Amino acid sequence: MNNIQIAIIGAGPAGLSAALELKKLGYDDLLVFDREDEAGGTPRHCGHLGFGMFEFKRVLSGPDYAKKLAKLAIDSGVNIKLKSTLTKVENGVLTFSTPEGIKQYKPTCTLFALGARETPRPDRLVSGTRSPNIITTGTLQRFAYLQKIKPFNKAVIIGSEIVSFSAIMSAKHAGIKIEAIIEEKDEIDSFCVIKYMVKYLLKIPVLTNTKLKNINGEDKKVTSVSVSTDEGEREIPCDGVIFTGQFIPESSIMQKSFDDFNFSNNSLYISQNFQAKDDGFFVAGNALRGALAAFKCYFEGKKVAKNIHDFIRFKHQPELIKIEADENISWYYPSMIDLKSPTKQHLTALRLKKRAKGAIKVLLNGRMIYKKNIHAFPFMSINIPWKDIELKPQDVIKLEFVNN
Amino acid sequence: MESINLNHLFPTKTSNFTKDEIFDVAVVGAGVVGCAIFKEFCEQGAKTVLVEKANDILDGASKGNSAILHTGFDAPPDTLEHKCVQRGYEEYMKIKDDYNLPFLNTKALVVAWNDEQLGKLDAILQKGLGNGVKELDLLTHEQIIKREPNLSLDAKGAILVHGESLIDPWSAPLAYVKKGINCGGKIAFSHEVKDGHYNGKYWELQTSQKPINAKVIINAAGLYGDIVDKIKGTQDFKIIPRKGQFVIFDETAYNLINSIILPVPTKRTKGVVITKTAFGNILVGPTAEDQESRTDSQTVKETLEDLKNKAFHMLPALKNHKVTATFAGLRPASDEAYYRVSINDEKNWITAGGIRSTGLTSSLGLAKHIFELHDTRYEKSPKADEKVTVPNISEFAPRDNQKEGYGKIVCHCECVTEREIKNACHGELGAGNVGGLKRRTRAMMGRCQGFNCEAAVTQICKNEVKNHE
Ligand SMILES: Cc1cc2nc3c(=O)[nH]c(=O)nc-3n(C[C@H](O)[C@H](O)[C@H](O)COP(=O)(O)OP(=O)(O)OC[C@H]3O[C@@H](n4cnc5c(N)ncnc54)[C@H](O)[C@@H]3O)c2cc1C
Ligand SMILES: Cc1cc2nc3c(=O)[nH]c(=O)nc-3n(C[C@H](O)[C@H](O)[C@H](O)COP(=O)(O)OP(=O)(O)OC[C@H]3O[C@@H](n4cnc5c(N)ncnc54)[C@H](O)[C@@H]3O)c2cc1C
Repeated sequence: MNNIQIAIIGAGPAGLSAALELKKLGYDDLLVFDREDEAGGTPRHCGHLGFGMFEFKRVLSGPDYAKKLAKLAIDSGVNIKLKSTLTKVENGVLTFSTPEGIKQYKPTCTLFALGARETPRPDRLVSGTRSPNIITTGTLQRFAYLQKIKPFNKAVIIGSEIVSFSAIMSAKHAGIKIEAIIEEKDEIDSFCVIKYMVKYLLKIPVLTNTKLKNINGEDKKVTSVSVSTDEGEREIPCDGVIFTGQFIPESSIMQKSFDDFNFSNNSLYISQNFQAKDDGFFVAGNALRGALAAFKCYFEGKKVAKNIHDFIRFKHQPELIKIEADENISWYYPSMIDLKSPTKQHLTALRLKKRAKGAIKVLLNGRMIYKKNIHAFPFMSINIPWKDIELKPQDVIKLEFVNN
Repeated sequence: MESINLNHLFPTKTSNFTKDEIFDVAVVGAGVVGCAIFKEFCEQGAKTVLVEKANDILDGASKGNSAILHTGFDAPPDTLEHKCVQRGYEEYMKIKDDYNLPFLNTKALVVAWNDEQLGKLDAILQKGLGNGVKELDLLTHEQIIKREPNLSLDAKGAILVHGESLIDPWSAPLAYVKKGINCGGKIAFSHEVKDGHYNGKYWELQTSQKPINAKVIINAAGLYGDIVDKIKGTQDFKIIPRKGQFVIFDETAYNLINSIILPVPTKRTKGVVITKTAFGNILVGPTAEDQESRTDSQTVKETLEDLKNKAFHMLPALKNHKVTATFAGLRPASDEAYYRVSINDEKNWITAGGIRSTGLTSSLGLAKHIFELHDTRYEKSPKADEKVTVPNISEFAPRDNQKEGYGKIVCHCECVTEREIKNACHGELGAGNVGGLKRRTRAMMGRCQGFNCEAAVTQICKNEVKNHE
C-alpha cells in the first residue's frame, strides 16, 4: 500500500487539467490513473474538429486535443499511470488492477474524473434481434478513428442530441451511409441549426415523432429497423444501428463503493466545491452528471484543483445539506450546499429531461421559496439563483418541475 | 478503412479425422447435454465424435439460461428429470474443483407474495422432502426480511432451499468438451447433420460437410431434436420452443440479494426468478413463451418492461440500477412435460431430447444415465483421470486481471484482459463466432456494451486469427 497526497482517476480533460493546475500550485505527490493505454480521455476517439477553442484558442480535432493535453501534463511533470483500472474503493483505499498486479493507494485526497458513456441498447429496452452491429457513437468512433475499421455499410442513428452529429461525421469518415436519424420526440434534441445542416447540407432524413419499434434480423445480423409514426409503421433497411446520447456518468465504481449515491445524477452528491460527503473525495467533469463539452470539463478541472488545494491547506471540513430533484430533471449541479463555504451566485443549475413549458420550483423544508416559469430545451442549463436565505444544517432542499 | 465484421471474423473450424473413419459413437449437438454425453463416452473409452452444425459449442438452448444448479426440490417426482437433476448436481460437485469451475451456494427462497401462494408452501415443502431434498426450511415474514433486507415487505412466507446454487453456464460445457478431447474424442464443427442411413453395422450420417460414420448415434440436438430424430425413421415427439426473456442489471445491484428469489411455481413455468449471476450481475427472468420458431430469440420491449416492473415490486431497490443486458433463450420443450429420452436398440439410436429447463444441472447425470442405457463395455480411456482445466471467468474466484502479465484490460466493464481475448481465439476449442468469444471471456457484455472496447476487441481478434492462419 502506498500513501499519496492526491490521486486523480481519469486522464481526460477534467482529470488532466486538474493535475496541471495542482502541479502549478506546487503539488508533487500526485498521481493520475487511467485504465486506457493512452492519456487524453474521450477526445482521443472524437476524430472530428470541435475542441480547444476556449482552452487553447485553436480549433483542434479530438485526438490532437487529447495529445496536447497529455503532453502539457507530462511536460510539467505530472505522473500518469496508464493501464490502471480502479476496481475498488474501501475505507479510503483505492485498489487498481494493473498488468504488474494489484496495486493499492491511500490518498489524502481523491478526484474522480471518470467521464461518461452513452446509454447502449439494453437499458433502453428495445425490441428485436441482438447483434454486434448495434452500437453507440463512442463505439463507432473507436472503430473509425482508432482502429480504422468499417463495421457495417449503412446505418440508422437513434436520437438527435448533439452527439448524433458526431455519429454522422464518424460514419462519413468510415464510409458508412446514414439512412436516417430517428427521434422519438417531436423535435430534435439539439439546436435547430443542426437539423437544417443535417437535412439540407448532408441530405440525411431527420425523422422526428418517430419511434424505433424493432431491430429486425436474424441472430447476429441486422437487416432493417421498423419505425412507427402517426401514419403507421415502416421498415428502413440497414445493417447497423447507432444509439446516440443519453450520457450517464461512468459511475458504477462510485455507486458500489459509497453508501450515499445520487440516483438523479447517477453520481455522488457533490457540493459547490465539487466535494463529496466522504472525506477527501471530489468529482469533476462528465463523471458528475453526463456529457458536457470538453472545454467545460477542462475548466471544471481547474476549479476543482483550487478546491482540493483549499481542502488540503485549510483542512476544510464542510457542513453539507443535500438538494434532491424530481424525475423531470435530468441532472443538476451542485447537489449539495456546503454551508461553510462562501456563497455562490447560483444555488444550483439544472437540465430537464424533455423540452417543456412549466414552472421550476425550489422547496425548502417543503415550503416553496423560489418559482420561475420556463420554456426549456433539454440541452439548456437553467440556473437557480442563490436567494439570500439562511440555510441550517437540517434543511432539506428539493427541486421540482411542474408542467403547465 | 478496412471492412471487418466481428460476426464473420472467425474462420470455419476444420476437423481432424477422415470420412472413412468409423466411430463407436456420434453425438449430434454440442449444447450442454451433448457436451456432457461426449465427455462421458470419451472417458469410458468409446471412440466418439461430437457433431455440431454451428462453428462453436453452445449455439442453441444452452447459450442463455439462468445458470442455477438445481437441487430438484420441485422436479416432477420419480421422473428421469428428477433423477438426472440430482445425479447431475452430485457429479458437478465431484468434478468442479478439478476443472476449475465455479460454484456459489447462495441458497434459494421460494417466496409467497400472497395468501394463495402462502397456502401452497406446505405442498412444495412436502414435494421437496419427497424428492429427497432434506435441507428445506419454512421461513416467516420476519425471517425472510432478516435474510433479505432489501426484499419487499410484501413477502409473506418462504421456503429456504439450502442446496440451490449458481454456476458458470458457459465454462462448464467447455470443460466437458475439453475433457472429451483430452480422452481422444473428435469434434466436427460446422457439420450440420442432414440425413443418415443405417447399413446394419453402422450409421452413415450425411452432413453439410463430409459424411460421418458411427455405430451408435446419440441425438442431443436440442431445439432440433425432433427433426434430427426423424433420421432414424420414426418421430416420437415434437419440439415446441419456449422462449425465456431476461433482463440483466449492472454489477452495482449485485449485493441487493443473498439468495436466489424463486416464485411459487405455476403449472407452466417456474416463473420469474431474481438471482445473482456468476458474472457479478443480477438476473431477472425468464418468461415462458411457446413459439413456432427455433431461432427467434428476439426480445420484446413490453415484456422486458413487465419483467422489470415485476422485479421492482419484489426488490424495490433494484429501480436504482441500470440494465446491462437483455436477451432471450429458447428452451427445447416438447409436446409432453418430460425429458424425451429413449433408445432404439435395433438401429443403435439414442435420443436425448426435450431437455427443457433443467439441462444445465442434469446434463452430467443424464450423460451417465445414457451411458448405462447404451450398455456396451469399452476400455476406459487412460486419460479419464487426467485433470483438464478451463480459465475462470466468474466472480467467485480470482480472475485473469488479478494475475500479472495480462497485457492490458481491454473490456473495462467486465475486466477482460488482452491475454484472455487472445487465448480465446486459439486452438481447437477457440471461439468460433462472436457469441463464443463473449462466452469465453465476457468481453463486450458489460454496462457499456462495447462503447469502450468493441473496436479494440475486433482488432485483437483480427490479428490473432491472421497470425494463426
Ligand atoms: C461521441 C462523442 C463526441 C464528442 N464530441 C465532442 C466535441 O465535438 N466537442 C466537445 O467539446 N466535446 C465532445 N465530446 C465530449 C467530450 O469528449 C467530453 O466532454 C470530455 O471528454 C469529458 O471529459 P472528462 O475528463 O470528464 O471525461 P473523459 O474524457 O471521458 O475521461 C475519463 C477518463 O477516465 C478513465 N476512467 C474511467 N473509469 C476508470 C477507472 N475505473 N479506472 C481508471 N480510469 C478510468 C477513462 O478511461 C477516461 O480516459 C464528445 C463525446 C463523445 C462521447
Ligand atoms: C430461459 C432458460 C432458462 C434456463 N435456466 C436453467 C437453469 O437455471 N438451470 C438449468 O439447469 N437449466 C436451465 N435451462 C435449461 C437448459 O439451458 C437446457 O435444458 C439446455 O440448454 C438444453 O441443452 P441441449 O444440449 O439439449 O440443447 P441445445 O443447447 O439446443 O443444443 C443442441 C445443439 O445441437 C445443435 N444441432 C441442432 N441440429 C443439429 C444438426 N442437424 N446437426 C448438428 N448439430 C445440430 C445445435 O446447434 C445446438 O448446439 C434454462 C433454459 C432456458 C432457455
